[in-house]
Amino acid sequence: MKSRKALTFWCTILGIIVVMTIFAGFLSSYEPNDMNLDEVYTSPGESHLLGTDHLGRDVFSRLLEGGKVTLTVASISVLVSLVIGVLYGGISGYVGGIVDTVMMRFLEALITIPSLIIILAFQAFMQGGMWSMALIIGVTGWLVTARIVRSEFIRLKDAEFVKMAIMFGTPMWRIIFGHMLRNSIPAIFVVTLFNFAGAIFIEVSLSFLGIGVPPAIPSWGNMLYYAQNDILIGAWWIGVFPGIMIFITILAINFIGEALKDPERRRLDA
Amino acid sequence: MLSVRQLSIDIEGKPIVRNSSFSVPLGKITSIIGESGSGKSMTVSALLGILPPGAKATGQALFYDKNLLTVSDKEMMEIRRTHLFTIFQDAANSFNPSVKMRHQLFEFSGRKSGDTNEEFRLKMEGILDDLGLAPEIMEQYPFELSGGMLQRCMIACALYMKPGLLIADEPTSALDMVLQKEFIGLLKRLNEQHGTTILLITHDLDIVAEVAHDMVVMRHGEVIETGSVTEVFDCPKHPYTKLLLDSRF
Repeated sequence: MKSRKALTFWCTILGIIVVMTIFAGFLSSYEPNDMNLDEVYTSPGESHLLGTDHLGRDVFSRLLEGGKVTLTVASISVLVSLVIGVLYGGISGYVGGIVDTVMMRFLEALITIPSLIIILAFQAFMQGGMWSMALIIGVTGWLVTARIVRSEFIRLKDAEFVKMAIMFGTPMWRIIFGHMLRNSIPAIFVVTLFNFAGAIFIEVSLSFLGIGVPPAIPSWGNMLYYAQNDILIGAWWIGVFPGIMIFITILAINFIGEALKDPERRRLDA
Repeated sequence: MLSVRQLSIDIEGKPIVRNSSFSVPLGKITSIIGESGSGKSMTVSALLGILPPGAKATGQALFYDKNLLTVSDKEMMEIRRTHLFTIFQDAANSFNPSVKMRHQLFEFSGRKSGDTNEEFRLKMEGILDDLGLAPEIMEQYPFELSGGMLQRCMIACALYMKPGLLIADEPTSALDMVLQKEFIGLLKRLNEQHGTTILLITHDLDIVAEVAHDMVVMRHGEVIETGSVTEVFDCPKHPYTKLLLDSRF
């Protein structure tokens, strides 16, 4: 019961963050890129809820807008990695034999390379915007999903109900989707959630390193990047709020994933 | 109805079943009995055409003049669809845990006979009621039901389909004594009321004594004795059968 309460709590937190970023336009009274050089480095207060940055841009508006960008990049990359992972793992697990061996050795080879390095290399010559970045994070993030899907497929392939279905002449696509994929959903969901947290983290790190989302578009990561200098002159609010948002979002996702992973909540324990 | 002659099964060159011959007469309950690893389940797999990869079956298994070991996949599918019904050991795992019973029961019965959803619902509810199952189970998931209930659902599908031959591969080994008895009663009823021929695989001699008409004793991949249950129980010929009978409580 305790885990259920925790789950509700963290879902609510994440929900609030997501809703706030989606309705960024309604909630903020300033345009995220509106500069006002008369009001640079205003500390949080009445007119600017969370203060302004070195160009007089409203931090609160940028925070919401940046959240939208960060979460969009993370969502798209997770979708991409989900599709690739399910396909790759599904084929590997379903076909089995030599195909499985070759595909898994290849995957293990990829896993040994830290994905941040691959992403850095890609970003270096693609100089991409938001979309290409989402794509790159997705293309490099499917490895764990593929492994999980493969192991689920191998387990389910031998399950009696799959044998029954084969016996009864159920078409192959129905077995794959209705029996195998359907019963892998809990595991896939949890791993995707953790991937989502990972993707946010990668977006933030890349933007923080200055090679992520282009400077014109605000994101939590590049807000932190520009806040580096501001902190030195005492404008703490520019860096602290994006930091808190990143922290809470990733924390919430991890706790949700943790709660769902709880074996008591899993009804499928074959 | 089903006659198996000189059936041999090899898995990667290693013989599992050797030169087994037996027959399953129409309208009777025939039981294959033998210890674990005696090749009973492999024999059934061969008959159903679901041998694991690497396994090869030779010989003859005539079912309505068709050799089950050599028919094409398409024909096999047709036979399995119309004439055969199989109940596996563990009913709890025979159903997909994330699909409601209604869809699964339909998959195993109504879809095969080409009934519409409505026809299926009416007919199935009658059968379920007959088996002491509430119609509500149709809207439940398999993990919400007990092993005995699920096994009865399997029987319900068999009752719905009225197959020519019902193959039950150790259907009672996952059930407790009371449920076993109940289940055996259902098998008997299926046989008596609908004349369904049943091939019952088991390692439990009491069950054989209870329901079967004929029996086949297997050991180390060979059929060592066949005959009617009364015959074999009264005067077993093979020493292993004697041993088996003596080991009964």
